[in-house]
Amino acid sequence: MMTLPATRRLLIVGALSLLSAGLAQAQAQLDQAAPGFRAQTADGKTVDLASLKGKTVVLEWTNHDCPYVRKHYNSGNMQGQQKDAAAHGVVWLQVISSAPGEQGYVEGPQALELNSKRGAAPSATLLDPTGQIGKAYGAQTTPHMYIVNPEGQLVYKGGIDSIPSNKVEDLARAEPYVKQALAEMAAGRKPNPANTRPYGCSVKYAKG
Amino acid sequence: MSRFPFFLSLVLLGSALAATASQAQIFAADQARTPQVEVRLLSDSASVQPGQRLVLALEQRIAPHWHTYWSNPGDSGQPTAIAWKLPAGATAGPILWPTPERIDIGPLANYGYSTQVLLLSEIQLPKDLQPGRDLAFEAAVTWLVCKDICLPQEAKLSLHLPVAAKAQASVQADSLKAARTALPGKAPWPVQAQRDPQGKLLLSWPAKGEAPGQAQFFAAQWGPVRHAEVQTLSREGQQWQLSLAPGESPLAAGQKLQGLLVLGEGADRKAYQVDLPLRAASAEGSTSNGEVVALLPALLLALVGGLVLNLMPCVFPVLSIKAFSLVQQAHGHADEARRHGVAYTLGVLASFAVLGAVLLLLRGAGAEIGWGLQFQSPLFVLGVAWLLFGLGLSLSGLLEVGAGLGGVGSSLAEKRGLAGSFFSGVLAAVVATPCTAPFMGAAVAYALQQPGPQLLAVFLSLGLGLALPYLLLSWWPALQRLMPRPGAWMNVLKQGLAFPMYGAAIWLVWVLALQGGAQAVLIALCGMALIALAAWLRQVSRHARSAPWRRLGLASALGALMAALMLGAGLPVAAPQSAAAGVAEAGFEPYTPERLTELRAEGKPVFVNLTAAWCISCLVNEKVALSRPEVKAAFAERGIHYLKGDWTHQDPRISALLAEHGRSGVPLYLYYPSGAEPRILPQLLTPGLVLDELRADKKT
Repeated sequence: MMTLPATRRLLIVGALSLLSAGLAQAQAQLDQAAPGFRAQTADGKTVDLASLKGKTVVLEWTNHDCPYVRKHYNSGNMQGQQKDAAAHGVVWLQVISSAPGEQGYVEGPQALELNSKRGAAPSATLLDPTGQIGKAYGAQTTPHMYIVNPEGQLVYKGGIDSIPSNKVEDLARAEPYVKQALAEMAAGRKPNPANTRPYGCSVKYAKG
Repeated sequence: MSRFPFFLSLVLLGSALAATASQAQIFAADQARTPQVEVRLLSDSASVQPGQRLVLALEQRIAPHWHTYWSNPGDSGQPTAIAWKLPAGATAGPILWPTPERIDIGPLANYGYSTQVLLLSEIQLPKDLQPGRDLAFEAAVTWLVCKDICLPQEAKLSLHLPVAAKAQASVQADSLKAARTALPGKAPWPVQAQRDPQGKLLLSWPAKGEAPGQAQFFAAQWGPVRHAEVQTLSREGQQWQLSLAPGESPLAAGQKLQGLLVLGEGADRKAYQVDLPLRAASAEGSTSNGEVVALLPALLLALVGGLVLNLMPCVFPVLSIKAFSLVQQAHGHADEARRHGVAYTLGVLASFAVLGAVLLLLRGAGAEIGWGLQFQSPLFVLGVAWLLFGLGLSLSGLLEVGAGLGGVGSSLAEKRGLAGSFFSGVLAAVVATPCTAPFMGAAVAYALQQPGPQLLAVFLSLGLGLALPYLLLSWWPALQRLMPRPGAWMNVLKQGLAFPMYGAAIWLVWVLALQGGAQAVLIALCGMALIALAAWLRQVSRHARSAPWRRLGLASALGALMAALMLGAGLPVAAPQSAAAGVAEAGFEPYTPERLTELRAEGKPVFVNLTAAWCISCLVNEKVALSRPEVKAAFAERGIHYLKGDWTHQDPRISALLAEHGRSGVPLYLYYPSGAEPRILPQLLTPGLVLDELRADKKT
């Protein structure tokens, strides 16, 4: 009595998969609610974006082998911004959307080890091997940066700074978009620019 | 399992580092290699001369499955960069980027090159070079090469070229020249960019020749276009249309869309530079814009347009004949009159259907056509002028139409009976075409953009409008009873009606004069004399008593007609003089797209009038509005440049401007306020209307 006919089940499954495909297509929009997620972290916990309401959240897509990511870690630029953020009560989340078998894919312990070796200090590292969170946000590159305000709205997306290169020398000349955005928000203003070009390696989503 | 890729990437990383290390050894050579990319510096000259514009090229040979990047790398990646160290006084231009390919990586798209690419740069050498010297050209090259993973790489390359009195081509000169010719060029046809109601960007260009097979747009910058989105090509009437998803920072109207439009596939790809402002969405409710008009309103507009055509001076003479024959038929049986009404309607509909079919065929053949176009053909004008003259003769009584004089349209139209009604319908449709009534412009422009069935529907609706008054008259006996009784006055009326015919013929000869000059007029008038001679010969011989005389008369009449036709075949096709000079007085410049762009670039306000000698409403507008002193004064006061495009002859540049504004025929009046989007004025002008339009500009 309670079991649904097979065809009907099939229809529901079909509808649900269509719906989820639609959700995956919908890209994160500025000034709208940031796509919610519940994700495993490298230290075995789970983080729910909804539980971080009231705090500013930075999302950093990363791939430790990407030359553009290495530029920001080898120079200490990324670690510096992470620590600065923590000091101001900002939650900084690394996100790894590399699929198993692709560059940058790591499991929890390895992610923690990499961070301790690099002196990185994110609040947590989210493991997104299915690429679900990455696709929900439309993350294209590593690094690709997003800022969610305490109301849960997406207020910044794009590059970490203004010069798309893998050269450490360019850091000094570049406009540090994320740093600026956090400073503006701390001063009660909206980030400007709020939408910039991300640069780096492509996010290594699962193929096909 | 998961450790292996990590290990693999370490190995790859190691090889990249090794490649970087190996560059030290090959520093200052003209080539270098990494496991993924071989780079080489090429020159089009083996020796250079002072003041030469030298072409150097960076060649990248890329390992299978790897790629390097275009100037806009797409969703990720980085373009190849060259930092030149040149001899004193020499300057390098930017990289001349060849057409890239789209590389899809999961949900992302990159723009770049695989296998092999030549990145050309122009180097301007100073004039004071001394022959015998040796010049060193050094290039510090950085590039990103990606497969699944990305490796930043760099090389320093150098080339030494001796200075000679006369430059000598190198062995690579030909391949560099070929690479240069293959660079994206200017599109040979107008391309437009606009936004559709869904927010998508639509890139459109004329559909000519065969289908491009594949079309891709490569945006030059990040922001306006979403790189990874599917681009769909469709055909909208006479245009190909490529639909692009807007990117992270969509363009506003007037902002420029830049990039490459690439048509075809593989080796047959052709790339065209696109650099054009996004067109503003057309004013709402404007009937002049073809896109706004949906099918049902278009059909209604066409019907009304057809009705209005009845009042047009170019239809009126024919209709007067029809009215005359109705007068006669009203006193026959009601059924008979109805049949005539239906026959007339069918005649109109048939010719509009034929016209629609011809337009479809021409459109299929890719011809640039527009409404009223047939009047751009001098031969057509001549034919109609003679036809109307012949009709005039017949009405005057010189040519009593009876049996035997077949092949002449006038006789067909004059024929009594159903065939006569049918052919007067045909004649009405033929002469109605140049009168692009205000309502008709949009409907026809719309129709021309539509698939075949819609186009035919609009044309038939137009025809129905034209035929409707007579159809009603023939079906509604009450209306017929209002018609005057027949009598001797009818003959007088008939003779009187000949004069509108002569008038119309004179007008057409004038049009012909503009198209073909004095010689065309001579031909037209000689032809008329021959037609008159033929009519007279026929008339005097038909009552002859002996059959041979009648036959001789008929033969000589036909001979005179043949002579006229042969004359017509010798009609000059090319324009011996500028038609514009004959159309209106001074105070304007001829329209060219270059002049318009130039004036707009200077920030000057511009008024564009697209007209033709055969377009009556155009001439009326000029007379009653544009050449009025107050309008002229307003133009002068505001420093408005008046450009006039004369479409009496076919002119693809004018057709292009018409198409850009969703039109297929003249008149079209465009006002470009300084630094703002153009505004379309109505097709019927009054001085007040024009002045209001100019004042609106002042307020904003």
